[in-house]
Amino acid sequence: MPFSSEAQFRADGHGSVPPPQGYWRFAWRSGHGANSLLFEQRAVAVNLGLFGALLLASVIYLSLGSVKVAPMAVLQALFGNADMMASFVVQELRLPRLAAAASTGAAFALAGILMQTLARNRLATPGIIGIDNGATAFAVASIVGLGVSIAPPAMALAGATTAAVLTFGLAAGNGTQGYRFIVAGIGVGAVFGAITQLMLARVAIDTANAAYPWTVGSLNARPSGALQLLMLGLTLGLATAMALARSLTLLRFKDATASGLGVNVKRRRLEVLLLSVALTGLAVAVAGPVGMVGLIGPEIARSMSSSRSVPVLAATLAGALVMVLADLAGRTLLAPIEIPVGIVTAVVGGPWLLWILMRPQRSFT
Amino acid sequence: MLLLLTALVAVSLVSLLIGAGSVGPGRALSLLSGAQDSEAHFIVWELRAPRTLIGIVVGMALGVAGALLQAVARNPLAEPGLLGVSAGAAFAVALALVLGASAATLRISVAQLGALVGCVCVLSVARFRGVGNDPIRLVLAGAAFSGLLASLTSLILLYDQRAADEIRFWVIGSLAGRRLDDLFAVLPSMLVASVVVALIARPLAALALGERVASGLGHHPNLIRWLVIACVALLVGAATAIAGPIAFVGLVVPFVARALAGPDIRRTLWFCLPIGPLIVLAADIISRVVVAPSELPLGVLTALCGAPVLIAVVRARRLPML
Repeated sequence: MPFSSEAQFRADGHGSVPPPQGYWRFAWRSGHGANSLLFEQRAVAVNLGLFGALLLASVIYLSLGSVKVAPMAVLQALFGNADMMASFVVQELRLPRLAAAASTGAAFALAGILMQTLARNRLATPGIIGIDNGATAFAVASIVGLGVSIAPPAMALAGATTAAVLTFGLAAGNGTQGYRFIVAGIGVGAVFGAITQLMLARVAIDTANAAYPWTVGSLNARPSGALQLLMLGLTLGLATAMALARSLTLLRFKDATASGLGVNVKRRRLEVLLLSVALTGLAVAVAGPVGMVGLIGPEIARSMSSSRSVPVLAATLAGALVMVLADLAGRTLLAPIEIPVGIVTAVVGGPWLLWILMRPQRSFT
Repeated sequence: MLLLLTALVAVSLVSLLIGAGSVGPGRALSLLSGAQDSEAHFIVWELRAPRTLIGIVVGMALGVAGALLQAVARNPLAEPGLLGVSAGAAFAVALALVLGASAATLRISVAQLGALVGCVCVLSVARFRGVGNDPIRLVLAGAAFSGLLASLTSLILLYDQRAADEIRFWVIGSLAGRRLDDLFAVLPSMLVASVVVALIARPLAALALGERVASGLGHHPNLIRWLVIACVALLVGAATAIAGPIAFVGLVVPFVARALAGPDIRRTLWFCLPIGPLIVLAADIISRVVVAPSELPLGVLTALCGAPVLIAVVRARRLPML
């Protein structure tokens, strides 16, 4: 009984209504009204745990490589009092790449969980419904010289938008639910993939090699400026997604139910879609199509969280963690040969996707 | 059927007449009617004729393989390209290239082995917990599988720039620059596959009535399935080894064939024989003409034309079940 007489008595002046089971409440007064925020204890624990794991992975990431730096030296180098060599390796070489890995992973996973919620299907990530391929095709076009005047990040955004418009347009008759929508997206992705292959085959081998990391997803060839743009977009996107968190939770229900609960369904879906597409485009501009992170990140977050709400923050953190670990593996496993991070995630993510498909059907998202 | 055969002859003729180079349709036509023209003779008989023949064989192989796979998976979306069979073959070829295999025959048997592994993997996923009962989930499983194999292929190519350069043309799928030797190399396995297909056509038709009916009629469903998978692997592996992975032909051809032939798999298979080459050759001719004087690879063209078909099939309110 949440509203027992005792609680009401305490709400009158001396205390407050006890928060629901498993929540913490932070209450404060401002002016006339009383405000409060509820925090789900499990979500807080999950987010803190993922954040801690991300920090730990980052330190390992910074310390391993062709030049090994001891973890303590990494910390010293970060705070600026280590020897020159360690400082240079950590700050100049590995830190920017770590930032790129973490923010692309976060962006892919955030875009993934937004799209999954929108389509009410855990397989509907931007990578699978062809948006990654669209962004890649446009970015490769700008690299091989079909659109030289436009920088890759802008082209990737344009490509992501084009692919999203195509997929959603083509699936329009059936709505965005279910698997048909996804197969329509696979078709769109196949077309863009073919166009990318075509462009790569028509240029000289050197240009093709320059564009090659773009087709598999790699953190090697990061265009300058794209990372800053991505970090800005990610910050804004994450803030927006957190602000939308309540309506995201309701978007999982039927449209009628959600509108009945006060969500402007059409507008929210459009916002969520735009956010997801923009994040995907920006992330592809930095790292190419590393689509599987958009699937794995949200899946990890969901398996750790309770099903009360959409774990937006946890998915973002998990995506960053997955990407950092994958790039670490790619850099170190077969050293000195470097495996592009897109290949690492695809080799892990393909079986993962099959496993999701083969698991007994549960309700999605 | 007669109409289809006539159309096939006409398309083959057009395929001989049209193409890059200074030999236009008129000149080629006068050559075919007996005029002496050494340059035209070279272009038509040495370049275009093998290409046409290979197109015909590849079209037949992919069409029949598509029909077989759809029948055995009982799923209208089961397509060798979508289900990762071609990706398996491509992966195997990339592996063989890097390991130094250059002989055409070796390449083909390796591709067939890869196709077999791909086939078995996807179909065992399909039989697992009813994934195969939902056509669209099967396609997703195939996409997952293809993605995995494609990244492994990329991984192999990272080690070997020479192979990467060789394979980036092959991986698109094209009939350009293939020689008759390639064709002769695949013919034996194609023949074996055709004989087996001819033998199992009747049991396969019985299998369409359901497993128990087929057993009751004295057939062995599991044996049939394995034979079909072997045939698909032989056909797709051979086609992929010559022409590279060509998507969506195995989806479109059986669709047209079923529309014309009705539900009987035997009639469908017969109809696939002219329709497959018809579609492949038509696509190949378009690929030569549309951006002349350069060429659009066949694989790109089939993807551009086949993806809308896939989407149209998926958009249909009710998927036709086999």
